[in-house]
Amino acid sequence: MRSFLILALSGIFAVVIQTTQIGRLGILPAAPNLILVLVVYLGLRVPTPAGALGAFLLGYLLDTFSGSVPGLHCFTMTLVFAMVYLVSGRLWMQNPITSLAIMVLACFLEIFTLTAYFAWTGVLGAGATGLLGTLATPALLALLVSPLLFTLLDAYVPPVSRKKTHAAE
Amino acid sequence: MGWRRQHSVLVTTGSLLLLSLALLLANSGGGRRVDPLGVVFLELVAPVASLSQTATARLASAWESYIDLVGVREEREWLRTRVRELELDLDRKRRIDDENRRLRAILQLREELGAMPVAARITGVGASQLFHTATIDRGTSQGVGEGMAVLARPGVVGRIVAASPNAARVLLLEDPTSGVDAVVQRSRARGIVEGGASGLLHLKFVGRGEELRVGDEIVTSGLDGIFPRGIPLGHIATVETSESGLFQTAELAPVVDFERLEEVLVLAAPEREMPPAAGEKG
Repeated sequence: MRSFLILALSGIFAVVIQTTQIGRLGILPAAPNLILVLVVYLGLRVPTPAGALGAFLLGYLLDTFSGSVPGLHCFTMTLVFAMVYLVSGRLWMQNPITSLAIMVLACFLEIFTLTAYFAWTGVLGAGATGLLGTLATPALLALLVSPLLFTLLDAYVPPVSRKKTHAAE
Repeated sequence: MGWRRQHSVLVTTGSLLLLSLALLLANSGGGRRVDPLGVVFLELVAPVASLSQTATARLASAWESYIDLVGVREEREWLRTRVRELELDLDRKRRIDDENRRLRAILQLREELGAMPVAARITGVGASQLFHTATIDRGTSQGVGEGMAVLARPGVVGRIVAASPNAARVLLLEDPTSGVDAVVQRSRARGIVEGGASGLLHLKFVGRGEELRVGDEIVTSGLDGIFPRGIPLGHIATVETSESGLFQTAELAPVVDFERLEEVLVLAAPEREMPPAAGEKG
């Protein structure tokens, strides 16, 4: 329950910071995609159906506040969670380096998914480079802040091990 | 059922992917917006967003105030520097005005004297409080020699007591060892003006029968062979007449402010004048 509350509040704060505050302060060139960091965290530390639902809801939250098409971030974040879940299950160990590597993969997947959607809907065309830049900057910033956020969350959220999950299953 | 339990994460994730894909497809058509949870999330996040907005607005306001303060501080420093510059400029102009005034006075005195005096600057004053001397920047190379009179615009300054090629020492009139032959301008009564320890001059050896009044102007007599005739020395401040004795004395306030002397004229000794006859008084 404690973990759920912390993650829920983190999601709310992340979306508030991401969609309103950082841009207002004008410190960074773009708002880092904190929701993406949280989804990767869920995939790594909470590899359960609840974690998947959390990723879905975080995506939905992002759609509500910053997406013009409901379902787009929802789909992307769930896909990122699935990728992180599958990749981390095949790793022999987890440490900050592997977490960062997975974060890089998540960034690429998010950019790829969104770009594919825009290509499919015909939005992507001559402005492909600009769109990639728009998508890459928040992802890169998310990559940079992810070690700090992972450390903070690790201090308050007890990890759910994959073995324990399987044992429960 | 067992397989589903074993792969519950994948099943859940797959289901959610399908759900979100359906949501995405439903909203991509451009028709009616399908967003069942949007209102709930909006309502949930609104208070936090509001609080955050307020906090950020205050933070931004504080930051802007700080930036403004820094600007004001920089402007204040600039203004202070400017005021200092202007004050220095004003001081320089005042000094130039003073110097101009003094030099005009010296020039006028030079014209009045009719001779070719040497203009000099005071470069130092005596180190002792007992003796009143000054150093000037002209010496024998410029025609300044021992015993010459030193004058300034209001009156007598002193005389040269030592001269080197490029400097000379002046014994000021206020020095207790100095003495100038003088007359009372009004009555032409003769006496000797000497310096005193108090900064006032003393008029001595004036006959008892002469009338001395406070305020009388005392000028040089021209009889000592050093100072020209009629150069102001001072004004009588007090008169002391003793019951006995042949002479009376008086204290004089010097016309020259010895503390503020900067430029002087050095005059070669005039030809000694004959003492005026008794009938010339008055």
